Amino acid sequence: MTDDEHETTADGTGEEPPVSDGGTASDGGAIVDDDGLPAGGVPDTPHEDDHGLPPTHSIRRWFVTTNHKDIGLLYTVTALFFLIFGGLLALLMRLELWAPGANVMSAASYNQAVSAHGLVMVFWFLSPLAFGFANYVVPLQIGAKDLAFPRLNALSYWFYLFSGILMGISFFQGSTFNGGWTMYAPLNTPVYTPEIGGTTTVLALILFVASATVGSVNFLTTMHRMRAEGMTLRRMPIFTWSILLTVWMMLFAFAALLAALMLLSSDRLIGTGYFAESSPGGAMLWAHLFWFFGHPEVYIVFFPALGAMAEIFQTFCGRRIVGRKWFIGAMLLVAIQSFVVWMHHMFLTSINLEIKTLFMATTIGISLPFDLMVFSLIYTMLKGKIRFKTPFLFGFGALVLFILGGITGVFLGAVVLDYTLRGTYWVVAHFHYVMVGGVTGLVGGLYYWFPKMTGRMYDETLGKVHFAMYFVGFNLLYFPMFLAWETPRRVFEYAPALTGWHQLSTVGAFLLGSSFLVMFYNLFKSAFVGEEVDGQPWDFASTAEWTVPSPPPLENFPGVPTYASGRLEFDDGGSAQTDGGAVHGKAAALPGSEVTGTEHEGGESHASIWPFVLGVGAFLVLLGLSGLQRGYFPEGTMGGMYIGTAVVGGVVAFGSLVAMTRERFHGPEGPFGESWPFTTVENTKLGLWIFLASDVILFGAFIGAYVFSRVAYGWTDWHHLIPEAHVVLPGLINTYLLLTSSFAVVIAMEFAERENRLGVVGSLVATVGLGIGFLVNKGIEWQHLFHIHTEAFPAGWDPGTNIASTTFYVTTGLHALHVIVGLVIAGYMILRAWNGAYMGDDEPIEYFGLYWHFVDIVWLFLFPLFYIV
Amino acid sequence: MSRAKLYTVIYVVLFVLATVQVVVEQAGYLEESYWMAFWAIMVLSAVKAVVVAGWYQHLRWEPRSVTTLMLLGLLGAVALTVAASYSIL
Repeated sequence: MTDDEHETTADGTGEEPPVSDGGTASDGGAIVDDDGLPAGGVPDTPHEDDHGLPPTHSIRRWFVTTNHKDIGLLYTVTALFFLIFGGLLALLMRLELWAPGANVMSAASYNQAVSAHGLVMVFWFLSPLAFGFANYVVPLQIGAKDLAFPRLNALSYWFYLFSGILMGISFFQGSTFNGGWTMYAPLNTPVYTPEIGGTTTVLALILFVASATVGSVNFLTTMHRMRAEGMTLRRMPIFTWSILLTVWMMLFAFAALLAALMLLSSDRLIGTGYFAESSPGGAMLWAHLFWFFGHPEVYIVFFPALGAMAEIFQTFCGRRIVGRKWFIGAMLLVAIQSFVVWMHHMFLTSINLEIKTLFMATTIGISLPFDLMVFSLIYTMLKGKIRFKTPFLFGFGALVLFILGGITGVFLGAVVLDYTLRGTYWVVAHFHYVMVGGVTGLVGGLYYWFPKMTGRMYDETLGKVHFAMYFVGFNLLYFPMFLAWETPRRVFEYAPALTGWHQLSTVGAFLLGSSFLVMFYNLFKSAFVGEEVDGQPWDFASTAEWTVPSPPPLENFPGVPTYASGRLEFDDGGSAQTDGGAVHGKAAALPGSEVTGTEHEGGESHASIWPFVLGVGAFLVLLGLSGLQRGYFPEGTMGGMYIGTAVVGGVVAFGSLVAMTRERFHGPEGPFGESWPFTTVENTKLGLWIFLASDVILFGAFIGAYVFSRVAYGWTDWHHLIPEAHVVLPGLINTYLLLTSSFAVVIAMEFAERENRLGVVGSLVATVGLGIGFLVNKGIEWQHLFHIHTEAFPAGWDPGTNIASTTFYVTTGLHALHVIVGLVIAGYMILRAWNGAYMGDDEPIEYFGLYWHFVDIVWLFLFPLFYIV
Repeated sequence: MSRAKLYTVIYVVLFVLATVQVVVEQAGYLEESYWMAFWAIMVLSAVKAVVVAGWYQHLRWEPRSVTTLMLLGLLGAVALTVAASYSIL
């Protein structure tokens, strides 16, 4: 069956273009009657329940909110701030490049500007802007009231914001990181970038990754577990699909980045030697870990833009996207393939030819699904009737730019061409066409969802002026870079013959930058005095967010949404129905009904200050730790301030965690409509499993770093790096201790089921006791190894002695940190059990057990790798 | 068999397998035939991990999708380690 066979045409609005739903699957659109009114009648005035939140004009609201739409707005506004931050750095660079040589900035300042521009734009602007939309739109599109864990959603935002502030502070600590956004080793080690600000940048990235991981767990749980009845995965709107695949990639890719950053922090804070020049394969290790994250990151950044483009194309071409299921399939394929192409970033390193050839093939292969998506968008335009509104202009512009970026990227995928093009402005031009092409799509998304978020329409003329300036500025900025491709990356020197192209680029940069002034003026003014809109300002938008008022009420829908009938309806007989799929004819083609009213459990507050406070705590801890260099804080007052900041931060963070556990707060509770493939796995449990899956990658990357370093050194020669005193027995004792503690946890569950309070308390106490025994045993072992005096190791065997000691202490140290976290949780559970909790309810103990047994499993591999073989 | 009894039997098996790993090393098999002994020790670790995940973490009673989720993570970690290590051989 083809899309054409399903096409239906609207004729109710005269001049409006033909539209179709394109098939039997649904993406949650709306239905109206012939008069364009909601099928169920004119909406009632909303009855707004404040969920315990202060009003939106109160500043306090934005510190305590956990509502997904508020968080979405916070993400969007903050990301736009970082666009300005990164954009100003870019303009500084372009000024410097007006002529060869350092004329505007010092060499060190230029290095900072280049590095920080890349980091800010990739991490603090691009993805967060997309997640502003995702936060706002995804729950609406799937028929959920909120994300699965609202407080964690707020926490994600605050971690994101404070990580960005930390990044900004790094400029004032000697220098921010100045070794390029890829942070290649050994430039990333203190030998070359000794400034405290460099360390702060790394720690800021760690906090950002924590934010991204928490967000991934939250979105995955929500999207898999909390879809409305009938909203099957096949029926999900494309934007939501793009976010689903994005967060899957984020879950695994960011865990690898976290591992890389933690190893780097270890080198910078403690003085270990993962990436030191003395480490065999240290530089290669960084490249592998970074690009295992870095290439999926390209799609993590681009997919939401693609999803937004698809929604925009559907709405403004007035028809369902051509080949919808193939489009989704292609995205799925890219998401998987994205993890097997990373070594094309390493063609100029010493990796062997066989692996280069393999990764060339996978890289060329990943362009094929993109071809399908591009043709799908083009064919959608051909089959539809286009309305050239601002969102579409940006969506279309993004497509054009992405095609150029994609084609020029294929050159880089070929090993032989890469030898010539790597490290030149060809790469710079290519990835800006791709990444800023993605930004173009997201700007389209910003105009598209602006009326939904604010309830007011932007100025269309100014929107078009923005697009014209943006598109001309963009191409004037980046296209000359292809022509001046022989310019080396990241430096301000280039052949004088290329000056003209660079000056053209600089003019383009300022035009592009000033186009955003038009956008900010337009959106800021329109947010207050723009024309008010109803729920559906665009005709033919077919997803569920357009069926509710603009902006939507806090609980989103007037009842429990369901697509069981093939249309969106509300179980309590809500005031409108919307298209959910197998619908044909005019009614389906003219979505836009608006539903109002509320249905809420009532009374319970959804306000919590603790995510913000925890964010402050984490910020202070990391700011304090940034002063630690190779095991030492600075001397004098400055050192005391760093230590004090870390301690205060630790107290604040711990206190807020305790407060969160004591706060009465309930996220959305099931049963939900569609939860495949995790129907029987409750939200918290699924969230925990998903987190553990990312932890598998984290530990896997740590163990991988050990294996890689050992292979680089010579696997069986490795023993020369280890003292005789490093024996099996402490490891075996710790294995026994952990296995026994795991046994104690499952026994605690048994006692809980039998409602035996003392049994539960006793088992948990045993768990904690054994865990403490594990740490004490490890402490004794480490002390001994630190202070050995042998001919081979006259100064002891400490974390910085050699790569074997580095991998041993850091990997088992990370594991020990996991044990400590487990012990804190178990200690809290003992107190609760003593007060009678868990009787007949072993779920909390089971959830703790999932974590504790995982820690046990990791040790089962660390033990042989670090003690036996 | 009651669950408590099952958990106890599993605990004993895990305890014994950990001991066997050390016995392999202490008996000098790593010196005699390094890679054979290496893989024997690692397989024993894998068996222990599967048992802990399957029974103590109750994975065998969860939907297969949860196992698939964890295997995806494992696959990613193994792919990174193996491909990266192979690339420098």
